[in-house]
Order: sequence, then C-alpha cells, then structure tokens
Amino acid sequence: MTDASLPAAAPAPRRGIATDLAVGALLLALAIAAPFLIDSRYVLGQIVLALFWASVAAQWNLLFGYAGVFSLAQMAIFAVGGYATAMLAQYLELSIWAAIPLGALIAVVFSVIVGLACLRLQGVYVALLTLAIAQVLYLLIVTDTACFRMEGTSCRQFTGGATGFARFGDFGMRQLLRGDWMMGNYAIVLCGFVLTMVMSWVIIRSPMGLAFKALRDNPAYAVARGVNRFHTQLLVFALSAFFTGLTGGLYAAHFQAIGPGLFSLSQLLFVIAIAVVGGVGTFWGPVVGAIVLMLADEFMREAGEFRTLGLGLIIAAVTVLLPRGLVGKAADLFRRRP
Amino acid sequence: MLDILTAVLVTGLTNGALYALATVGLSLIWGSMGMLNMAHGAMLALGGYITFTVVETLGLPLPVAMLAAVAAGALAGMLLYLGIVRSLLKSGGPGFETSVMIATVGIAIALQNALLLVYGGQPLRQPFAISGAVGVGAGVVPLLNIVIVAVAVAVMVAVSVLISRTRMGRAIRATAQNRDAALLMGVPVGRVYLQVLALSGGLAGICGVLVSSITQLTPGLGADPMLKAFIMCVVAGLGNLPGAIAAAFGLAIIEAAVQFGAGARWGFPVLLLLVIAILIWRPAGLFGRAQIRRM
Repeated sequence: MTDASLPAAAPAPRRGIATDLAVGALLLALAIAAPFLIDSRYVLGQIVLALFWASVAAQWNLLFGYAGVFSLAQMAIFAVGGYATAMLAQYLELSIWAAIPLGALIAVVFSVIVGLACLRLQGVYVALLTLAIAQVLYLLIVTDTACFRMEGTSCRQFTGGATGFARFGDFGMRQLLRGDWMMGNYAIVLCGFVLTMVMSWVIIRSPMGLAFKALRDNPAYAVARGVNRFHTQLLVFALSAFFTGLTGGLYAAHFQAIGPGLFSLSQLLFVIAIAVVGGVGTFWGPVVGAIVLMLADEFMREAGEFRTLGLGLIIAAVTVLLPRGLVGKAADLFRRRP
Repeated sequence: MLDILTAVLVTGLTNGALYALATVGLSLIWGSMGMLNMAHGAMLALGGYITFTVVETLGLPLPVAMLAAVAAGALAGMLLYLGIVRSLLKSGGPGFETSVMIATVGIAIALQNALLLVYGGQPLRQPFAISGAVGVGAGVVPLLNIVIVAVAVAVMVAVSVLISRTRMGRAIRATAQNRDAALLMGVPVGRVYLQVLALSGGLAGICGVLVSSITQLTPGLGADPMLKAFIMCVVAGLGNLPGAIAAAFGLAIIEAAVQFGAGARWGFPVLLLLVIAILIWRPAGLFGRAQIRRM
C-alpha cells in the first residue's frame, strides 16, 4: 500500500467516503427537487429512463470495473428480470409489487446458471460466451410461435414472442395521483435507483469488494492469497444480477410493457457506453455517463437518423481519448495538483 | 434418408466454409495482437455492399467487384488500426483487450448505421449469384454452394501460403509468438499490425460477398456469422488457425443436422450448449494450450 509506484487505485479511504457522501447528497437533493422544478411530463419521463440506464450501467460497472468480469449478458439479465415480472403478473396474476422482487430473484437464478457455464473462463472468453447466450435467448423468444394460451381471439406465446407483454399492471399511480402519476413513478424508480447505488457502494467498500478489486488487478496474486476466483466472481455476478433484475422489473412496471428489443446489441452498447463515457471502475462514472449520454441523445434527436451513428463514434472516441472516462479524467486532474 | 444427409452436408459444408473464412480473419488478429475485432461483422456487410454498388451502379464485371470488396475491407482494417488500435496499444497495456473490444463495438455500430443510411434497410439481392445445380448421388447440390466452398478454400489456402511462405508472413508469425523479441530483431511491429488488420479486413470483404450471396444484403448481415465465428474461435482456442477451421466445419455440420432434425430455431442454442460443455471440459479450447500466467 505504501509503494508509490502502484497506480493510485485506492486513495485514502476516509477522504473517499466524505467525497462520496457529499456527491451523493448533492445528487439526491437535485433528484428530489427535479419533479418540483420540471413541469414537462416528457422531461421527467426521460429522467426516469436515465435512472434506469444509470442503474444498469452501475451494476455492469460493479461487475466489470470492480470485479473484472467482462460480461455482455447485462441487458439479458435486465430483460430476464423484466420478463419474469411481466410473466408473473400476467400468468399468475400477482400484484406488481410481489412480482418485481420475485423477478429479481429469477434474474439471480438465471445469472447463476450463466455464471456456472461461463465464469470458469477468463476475459474475452466470458464476453463472447455471455454475448452468445444473450443472443440465443433473444432468438428463442423472437422465434417462439407455439400457442401457450388463447386471449380472446389472439394467441399468446409463453415468452410473448416477437411482441412481448403489455398491460400486466403498473405501480397504481395513475389511480392514486391521476395527472401527476409520472411523479409517483419517478419517486418509486428513484428509490430503486438509490437502493441499488447504496448497495453497490457498500459492496465495493466491504472486504468482499477488496477481493473483487484484487481479482481484477492481479488475478494470479489474488488467487495465491486465497481468494477463490470462481466463487467470488459468481457471487458478484449474482449480486449485480439481483439489482439489474430489480431494475428490469421496475422498467417493466413503469412502461407496462416489455419486449425482445431489450436484448438488442445497440441497447447493450448504450449501457456499456454510459459506463465507459463516465469512467469504468469509478463509482460515480455510470451516473455521470447516463446524464451526459442522455443529454447527447436528446440533442442528437434533432439529427434523427444519425443518432446511432453518432453514439457509436462517441464510444470509440471516448475509449481512445479518455481511457478512464470523464470521472477518471476529473480525478486525475485533481490528483496532479500538488 | 440419403437426400437428407446430402442436404445436411451441403448446408453444413457451405456454412462451414463461410464460418471458417470469418474465423480466419478473427483468429489472425487475435493471434498476432490479442485483439477481438467486434467490427468484423460490419466489415463483412461493407464488402457485400461494395460488390453490390460496383456491379449494379458502376456496371463493372463481378471479379472486379470482388476485388473492390477486398480492397474496401483492407482499407477499413487499415483505418481501424490508424484511428483506434494504434493509440489504444500505446496507452493500453493490460486493459487493451477490453478497451479495444468496446471501441470496435462502437465502430461496428457506426459502420452498420452508415450502411443503413446509404443503402436503406430493405434487403437487396447480391449480384454474386449462380444458378443451376449438379446432381450428386441421390441429391442435388446447387452450383452456388460449390462455388462458395471453392472460393473460400482457395482464399484460405492463399492465406496459409502467405503466412507460412512469405517474408511478411514470417514477420506476422514472429510478432504473434513474441512481440518484444520480434521488435528487438528489427521487425517493424507497427507495420505488421497494419498488415494483419488489412489482411483480415480483406478476408472480411470477400467473406461478406459470399455470405450475402446465399442470404441477402442487409446492414446487419455480418452479425450472425461473426458471433458464430467467435464461438468457433473460442472452441478451438483463440488464435489457433487450423483448429478454428476444423471447428468451423465440424460445428457447422452439427448445426445443420440439428436444424434439419429439430427445426431451424434450435440450431444455434444446441451449438452454444455444445460449446459451453466443451469449454467446461477444456477451458482453453479443444486445441488450445493452457496458458502459463506469469506474475
């Protein structure tokens, strides 16, 4: 720890806690003030969307930035959480509030199966296999044509097929708050987001988090010191899957709809881009990235069809020019100062 | 029974040849610089569309168009090196493997979207099409499939000659074996990387023409062969060229058999399960050697 040649991966922990608390309090205050300052339902809806993506990117960051597991199944796990929530509400007629946590648990089970299959491998092998699993899941859902049950005159596939699920229940804010329902949804999603961020912060700061970081920085040394790579990575995979699945459930309930489009590569890319632009391996990176990219996306809406093109170029450019993202760059600037 | 066997073999061998061609391109880059090129699929699509433009718009003969596809792919590969890979290699280090993957995903999306903007989303017909069929035993084999396999095999033979017999090939192999030693022996490693990416891009170009000739031209046409080619590289052990080719043919025939037996949608899932089983059994791939990690 005293070796000055080591990269400054862990600054003095106490100062880090104070900074994190201050940034967190500031962001939370802004987030609580937002619905009272913003009149437009559209803008508030976009902020809800940004919260979803920030949350998923933060979980991916926990996985890749802290534990070094290069998983490309992040959106698949998110979608599994959302689909499970929708299917539980649709088929078993569970209340959405019961379906969301159950959906998150199902996402954990799914992630453990994926993890058992993939995490024995390393680095890019994990990336390729998880990507392939996500694609297979997508193909199986989209090509599902077998009737599971009849609804009126139309037939519903067990997995929802190419159309997905809709109208399986929501948070109940439309009855409760009427015109202001978006505010209610915003509050619920914000609570979910704060919960996932606090939990990831606790995980990163715990001894478990140290093991994750050790495995990322020097796998061979960590293993030699008695960290079981497979078990530890499976654990972080399952932990991040719980919160990713939870976010997926909230997403399904907020939009009252879910479809196979969530599995698409561009959606995954957007989440990864959020983490990369903000700074992989920095706690606030995904939040900053989500704000920046949602704003960029909003501006590029003017450019219409060039949106995806621009997004791709932004990702490539940031990886080359800002290897540690915006937050990493800012931290470097502060640290250089004597 | 025999006609089903013929059909399975024809589909399997054709797809195997295409997958093999794609795996060679990917494996070359991985073997020599430890880089996974996620833009390979988009470069496949680029090759397909270039051929389409040269034949349909400029009215030039097909062989010229295929050369143009190779040239466009090679150019794209060189630009990828100069624009992205070079600076990532310089700043990178241990994070290179992942950062280059993320950067090339960005390029892939951008390139695919550019093709979409230029040519539109509706599928086009690839002018590289040969009608007719040859009767073989009990079944009928379309001439197009024979030509595809022949072209793919010819290209792979040419690549293997290039790698094993020429000065450039020797430099590529030297860099792949030990980058630092090659550098010390006076091998211009930067130029070798440029050549490897150009070569792989050219292979992607021709592979894209062949792939689109049996399917259709869409901006996303490369995604599926690329993903399967990756899987085959992984099964063989990343960077192992002959192993990747063997795995490509073997898995493509199994995939075709499953598709005929159980329906088209089960082909890829079964393939993936098989791959995962193989990797649990041999984590470094079928022909890969376990890595020795130095601390």
